Amino acid sequence: MEKINVEHMLAIEEPFMKAPVEQLKRAVRQSQKQAEREAAQVSAALDGMAGSSSSSELGPEEMDKALGGLIDRLKTLKRKLEEAQHEEAQLIQRSKQRATDLSELDRFESAAQPEFQRWCRARLDRVLVDYMLRNGNVETAQRLAANSKLEHFADTSLFALVMATERELREEHSCRGALQWCAENRSALTKVESPLEFELRMQEFIEMVRSGKTLAAIVYAKRHLTSWSDTQLPRIERAMMLLAFSSTTQCPPYKAMFDEARWAALASDFRAVIFQLFHLPPQPLLHLLLQTGLSALKTPACVSGDPAERNRDCPACQPETLGRLAQGLPLSHHVHSNLVCRITGERMNEDNPPMRLPNGHVYSLAALTDMAAELGGQVKCPHTAQVFALAEAKKMFIL
Amino acid sequence: MESLARDCHKLSKHQAASTQKAVAAVDSAIRELEAARAAAAADNMAGLQQARRQVERAQRTVGEQLKELYTNVAKYSKHVDKAFKLDLGYVAESRAFEDKREELAQSILQHFLREGDFETARVFAQEARLALPAEMQRQFEDMYAMVAAIRGPEHELGPALEWAVARRAELEAAGIALEFALHRLRFLQLVEGGQTIEALRYAREWFPRFGRAATQGGEAAAQLEEIERLMGVVIYARRLEASPYAGQFAAQRWEDGARAFASAFCRLLGLAAESPLSVTIDAGARALPVVCKVAGLLRDKRTEWSQQNELPAEVPLPDTMRFHSVFACPVSKEQASPDNPPMMMPCGHVICKASLEKLARGIRPGASASGRFKCPYCPGMSGLPDAKRVHF
Repeated sequence: MEKINVEHMLAIEEPFMKAPVEQLKRAVRQSQKQAEREAAQVSAALDGMAGSSSSSELGPEEMDKALGGLIDRLKTLKRKLEEAQHEEAQLIQRSKQRATDLSELDRFESAAQPEFQRWCRARLDRVLVDYMLRNGNVETAQRLAANSKLEHFADTSLFALVMATERELREEHSCRGALQWCAENRSALTKVESPLEFELRMQEFIEMVRSGKTLAAIVYAKRHLTSWSDTQLPRIERAMMLLAFSSTTQCPPYKAMFDEARWAALASDFRAVIFQLFHLPPQPLLHLLLQTGLSALKTPACVSGDPAERNRDCPACQPETLGRLAQGLPLSHHVHSNLVCRITGERMNEDNPPMRLPNGHVYSLAALTDMAAELGGQVKCPHTAQVFALAEAKKMFIL
Repeated sequence: MESLARDCHKLSKHQAASTQKAVAAVDSAIRELEAARAAAAADNMAGLQQARRQVERAQRTVGEQLKELYTNVAKYSKHVDKAFKLDLGYVAESRAFEDKREELAQSILQHFLREGDFETARVFAQEARLALPAEMQRQFEDMYAMVAAIRGPEHELGPALEWAVARRAELEAAGIALEFALHRLRFLQLVEGGQTIEALRYAREWFPRFGRAATQGGEAAAQLEEIERLMGVVIYARRLEASPYAGQFAAQRWEDGARAFASAFCRLLGLAAESPLSVTIDAGARALPVVCKVAGLLRDKRTEWSQQNELPAEVPLPDTMRFHSVFACPVSKEQASPDNPPMMMPCGHVICKASLEKLARGIRPGASASGRFKCPYCPGMSGLPDAKRVHF
């Protein structure tokens, strides 16, 4: 009976638990900052009014208007707080549902239990949902999540933001969404020392130079690039050199800066950084599991090219699909023998020992006994079609 | 994980309470301001000071409550961090599939088809701009129609039986006893439904060919015994629950029958009995901790785990995920290869050729003129020419 190592089994689920917490942290931080700023401003405005309360400076109408404005601001603050509450509650709820689903693992005693098999099927589905969302196959992700009742495992809005921002960079050649996101997450970006915002500013500068708006570009550089001069001074200097070149220049470093491929690079930089902040691995979970799984299953027989060695049940032997993915991955490592009967597909061990026929081929005792019962005490080697008496098979000992 | 779920429960209560307090404070500030506004309209400015104090209080409360909420969220976040000890980052670096998107998408598409999820397959093929393998889809649609009939409330065996009878030769050649298993289910179904005469007619029509095959023994002999048992059931036709055969009627038998049918169907199509994608992911989850550890060690050498020829450690997999024989020499611990094949000594112990030759060279000159040496695992003596090559 195979025991389940819960801690190991849960390793792959880490991003599913961490992503909502990170989103939650950010949501609370943001609403906290916003609320504090808003309340402080209303308070300061009131201070100003109360200080000059002799009403000599403000006429009654102006006073009424000013107070009305402050009331509206507080009402907006209240609405924002309630909206944030709703969003946070959803994230907490999602975390709770995920933790509850994952905790079922503690209750299984053996990997052979049908409940565990069901748990594994759900795992595959949530890994597929993650893959679909990352790939932008939103409709497939939604169908799959709905069919398998896994909606709480789909970080739909997060991936939607990623896809929309990437598209904007890649196709519309606009930094607007990405810059806005950077502004909202500036402290987190500084913490991981990400130069993403600088690269985006740089791109906007390059675009101004490209379209010949030299003066505007200089103003822009003064405003947005100089704040990076501590860490990026050499690159800023090089960027300023662009003012001396035309966008068709063949001079290598400057040609690269004018290259349209920079947009695609920005898009993948953006994805990398946002995944990093939300503790999502850069590759889909499906890739990780397929790579480790195929590698663990792959044996020299799978890659021998000999069709007789192929086992149709073996994933690494699937010629068109998973077998191709297994190419180039490491082979599994074995310090113990594992013998599988070619006739029955069953494990050969002390209870069902391997038997060597005189031609050197080995099959399990159970398979040969069954065959001998049908063929009147004789056995036929499926590999060479030679026929032997069952008594000629010799029992082997494998350590 | 369960404690994390409890943490979430607490957190959500806390979050609701915090926000409520903050909102209440803003609310009372709004009320004071409205009162002050009304008073100001009557040229009374006294309310303004009070409103100002209330706004300041609201500012403080909102700040405090949200700060406390953040502290609680951060605490929960620490708990989550502690629940996961392996660093996925080590494995995640690999870009082994970068140029294999097509194959990967095809693997997923075929998984949807073989799980019978045709609608998801269609949507995915459209979104990923893949061609649906029409032939495969048709085959699986056929299969799932028959499987659904077996699983359904009527437990209809007709379509599956028809399929099995039509492919009798192929099934028998592959050694799959599906037809008998389905006839058996049908027979029991008739007895259970009280149609005893019909059941006997059915037995006479279908069972004899399995009986005839029984003269050759083996599996067929087991079938003959089973037929005897089945005929015994007839005696108890109207009181099955109290009969020695009650176990034959467990509800599980329909699910088992449906699975056996699906597995046989896939075998004849030359497809794996289980979804290969699903098997790989299960193996992958078991291999992940091993690979994480290995990849962490490799990182110091600036190489990626996926660039190695072989994983440096063994991944424990259950027997159901062992598809090929692997022989590791118990002496050298090396895996057998065409250049270093496994050899069986006369005592039945198997070691690989290189180890065998080393043992033969190790004989002290004169100690054994016959060139024979002792098996490392038993007292049996062996010589180089006595050892025989084996093929697993």
